[in-house]
Amino acid sequence: MADKKLQIALYWGAACGGCDVAVLDTNEFILDVAAVADIRLWPIAADGKYKDIEAMADGELDLAIFNGGVRNSENEHIAHLLRQKSKLLVAFGSCAYMGGIPGLANLTSREKILETAYRRNPSIEWGNRVVPQPETKLNGKELEIPKFYRRVYKLDQVVDVDYYIPGCPPQPDRVRETLLAIVKGELPPKGSVVGAFDHALCEDCPRTKNEKKVKKFYRPWEIKADPDTCLLEQGVLCCGVATRSGCGVRCPTSGIPCRGCYGPPPGVTDQGAKLASAVASIVDSKDPNEIEEILAGLPDFTSFAYRYGVAASLLQRSYRQ
Amino acid sequence: MSYEPKIVGFLCNWCSYTGADLAGTSRVHYAPNIRIIRVMCSARIDPTFVLKALREGADGVLICGCHPGDCHYSEGNYKMMRRYPLLKKMLTDFGIEPARVRLEWVSASEGQRFAEVVNDMTQRVRELGPSPIQQTLAQDMAER
Amino acid sequence: MEEQRIGVYVCQCGTNIAKVVNCEEVVRALSEQPGVVVAKTYKYMCSNPGQEMIIADIQEHGLDRIVVAACSPRMHEPTFRKAIQTAGLNPYFVEMANIREQCSWVHDDPQVATDKARALTFGALHRVAKHEPLERMSVEMCPDVLVIGGGVCGMTAALELADGGNHVYLVEREGTLGGNVARVDLTAPYLDSARDLITALVTRVEEHKRIDVLVHSQVSSLEGFVGNFTATVETIWGDGASVSQFRVGNVVVATGYKEFDASRVVHYGYGKLPNVITSFEFEKMLRAGRIQTKEGKIPQYVAIIHCVGSRSKEFHTYCSRVCCMTALKYAHEVKSAIPNCYVSDVYIDMHAFGKGHEDFYKRGSEAKTLFLMYAKNDHPVIRKAGPGDDCEMLIEVNEKLSGEQIEIPADLVILMVGMEAREDSDAVARLVNISRDKDGWFIESHPKLDPVATTTDGIYIAGVCAAPKDIPDTVAQARAAAGRILAKTIRGSIEIDAVFAEIDEDKCSGCRVCNALCPYSAITYDASKKKSTVISAVCKACGACVAACPSGAIKARHFTDSQIFAQIEGVLT
Repeated sequence: MADKKLQIALYWGAACGGCDVAVLDTNEFILDVAAVADIRLWPIAADGKYKDIEAMADGELDLAIFNGGVRNSENEHIAHLLRQKSKLLVAFGSCAYMGGIPGLANLTSREKILETAYRRNPSIEWGNRVVPQPETKLNGKELEIPKFYRRVYKLDQVVDVDYYIPGCPPQPDRVRETLLAIVKGELPPKGSVVGAFDHALCEDCPRTKNEKKVKKFYRPWEIKADPDTCLLEQGVLCCGVATRSGCGVRCPTSGIPCRGCYGPPPGVTDQGAKLASAVASIVDSKDPNEIEEILAGLPDFTSFAYRYGVAASLLQRSYRQ
Repeated sequence: MSYEPKIVGFLCNWCSYTGADLAGTSRVHYAPNIRIIRVMCSARIDPTFVLKALREGADGVLICGCHPGDCHYSEGNYKMMRRYPLLKKMLTDFGIEPARVRLEWVSASEGQRFAEVVNDMTQRVRELGPSPIQQTLAQDMAER
Repeated sequence: MEEQRIGVYVCQCGTNIAKVVNCEEVVRALSEQPGVVVAKTYKYMCSNPGQEMIIADIQEHGLDRIVVAACSPRMHEPTFRKAIQTAGLNPYFVEMANIREQCSWVHDDPQVATDKARALTFGALHRVAKHEPLERMSVEMCPDVLVIGGGVCGMTAALELADGGNHVYLVEREGTLGGNVARVDLTAPYLDSARDLITALVTRVEEHKRIDVLVHSQVSSLEGFVGNFTATVETIWGDGASVSQFRVGNVVVATGYKEFDASRVVHYGYGKLPNVITSFEFEKMLRAGRIQTKEGKIPQYVAIIHCVGSRSKEFHTYCSRVCCMTALKYAHEVKSAIPNCYVSDVYIDMHAFGKGHEDFYKRGSEAKTLFLMYAKNDHPVIRKAGPGDDCEMLIEVNEKLSGEQIEIPADLVILMVGMEAREDSDAVARLVNISRDKDGWFIESHPKLDPVATTTDGIYIAGVCAAPKDIPDTVAQARAAAGRILAKTIRGSIEIDAVFAEIDEDKCSGCRVCNALCPYSAITYDASKKKSTVISAVCKACGACVAACPSGAIKARHFTDSQIFAQIEGVLT
């Protein structure tokens, strides 16, 4: 270990805060990190200012950990800033990696979101339905807030990213391993997904797998699924088949189908399309009408299959006029 | 400005591609907008291919396989038949007119029918207008 | 990665392509693309000089990938694969753009056709850049053959194979060989004895040193793939049973048919009226040498009704092909045995398509048989005659030619029962991994060009199990199947196409989505490793499993995702 302390920044873009909590969830390990590193920016936990980062020399940071997607001009500004100031930039968590849950907003439009949030939301007082604008004049002064983009981006659609740590949130164990690897300089090739495996979830799922033929799909609450058998073959839509392992199979072992937060396994271009291909292929019918009926048992397939990956998908967003 | 739709066709080797060849050997003329990609069976067609084609600028995607019951691989086309409704639903959810993607069964002897399918598909996609995908993504970039 | 050196060859196909597509323009556009070292157009690329030009360029310019924009790859892909192989390249390093069938032959506007030809050639260029070298595999071909079914078909195939030097295991479910033909008296149209025909076959089969006959036996499993099957056969001996297992390289399925159950046609009264009998019951009577009613009387009126269960909306829509001639044979045999007997032949259409059949029909027409035509789905009705009638039964026919309703007397009615697929044809299909059509008959590889092969390599079908046919056609198919097998086994090994699906074990998560999708059961699941594997020799490369594999673990050799993506990008450039 070098005598100079590691210079670290953590930032959240369009995110829920869970990723920051995941870093804290490494428990006492965070103290080890603090012992070897200076945390220069961490909006959720430390009082660093953007201007401090702006004042740094290029490459002064050793590591910048960015969680959350890029939804507005502030997110993008900090992404560029951290890229410029840091030797390594890590997309941390499903939102930075793939757009994540905020990326689901790409299936609707900015206008609809603003309309819902500022005009139609029942908790808004009548007469005060103001939609915030990037620039406002108030008492003769120009006020600015970040510009709300038309859609969510994953981090590498905005800046060059060195490593990706998937997960919603990433598992603390994986976080610890990855940070240790970075500290020790044991780095995989640039662009690698770290803190996760190169195979799909099913390999680590303890449920028994059989040949799959599905005659009917169920929502999880509609069926008392056998706890030892693959959920998908029981007709419960599970993303595990098309999802990278690394989470510890937490959902399927708790009786909940995988939601796909670790993203597609390597070699899969589009997680949702691949899940669609797999799931439809095992439908047990050769009759077009019956096939439609069976698939009607998947009422919100698109949002399920792209829960974390709309922004990372081939289509990236909705094209509804 | 006149708009010529670009259509990507995924055709199975044994029935539909041969049917397209037959349209050729029979000199049955059809709209020139289709770009054919050969796969061994319609079962090889991953919905990802369709999204990829749309993303790369196709205004429409035509998928052709053997008629049900006549698949060279006995049941391959049923796999495509199952994927198709889910694919259409996904496209709808992404705000893309599902009519931009079409699945048709064309046998090796249906050169004439292949030509008709291509003409009809081309006409429909022409009516839908250009795919909004590339333009919208460019507008997204321009805003940043 | 080392930079690729690609050669692009645009064929004019005489004027077939060049009269519409501006080949020079395509060459120009392609020559500007990265990686393209040589781009040329030529009158006939598939000709010897054309191929030699490509070969010379490969050697001179060190080309490592070739694009040929010409006709359909279904036409000349093998030609160019062979050519580049001659030049020392892997044969899979060529990709064709189909600018004849898909451009010059279907579009008139030269600019439009040229633009499209360029786009298709770009597609091929992008694709070929992603091609990987592939090697064909050679697997040993076991010369021994399993023949399932010991009728005329199975015996003929077995003899042909055994005479050719191959060892044959002939498996018959019943206790004796002969099948349905062993139940027949004379054969139409030449009136040879079926018994003589069968006896000669059975004797030769049983005496043949290279044929093992297993009667009272059924194949319970068939594992493996062409050249290397393991068959398990269960044999019942009185109250005991034994199991034998042997290795075979090929299988002939000759399981024949069963006759239609006449009691399903309610208005014929079969099973209720004692003197309404089936054709096979009549054959039994003929073989016993006495035509008589249940009561032991010599019938004065015999009626023969065609298409029982065949050519009907309710039962089977197909024609059973042998009944018309058999019915004429019955008329002939009745007339020979009982010269003063009145024979009526009640038919829909007289199908006399085979060799000697039309002459036989002519002879029958001259022999005072009363031919009555009924319309499809307007079946005659048989009822018991009254006490005043001089016959056992009366048949009401809406005679189509005269348009009149006619009542004919009968003491004995023979129902020409059609052929239908055996009840266990589904089980047999699954056993040997072939498909059945809507009627339950096995499906051939190609109905015209490949009628005895199936889509499963090493499995052949012959005789009626593929569709109704007469003895000559059955024998021809049996010998055809045997011939195909002999031709394949003579080399001792078989080449397996290099294009198949393969599973990357490291990426396979053992989810088993693919397992039930393979129409050839080429995917096996190893429960201890929790991984699926494709048996490459069984795989036919359809790619169903590849598209469905949600973890991207299955690769379609020569049709990989990246190759297809590249082609998509290319054609949309």
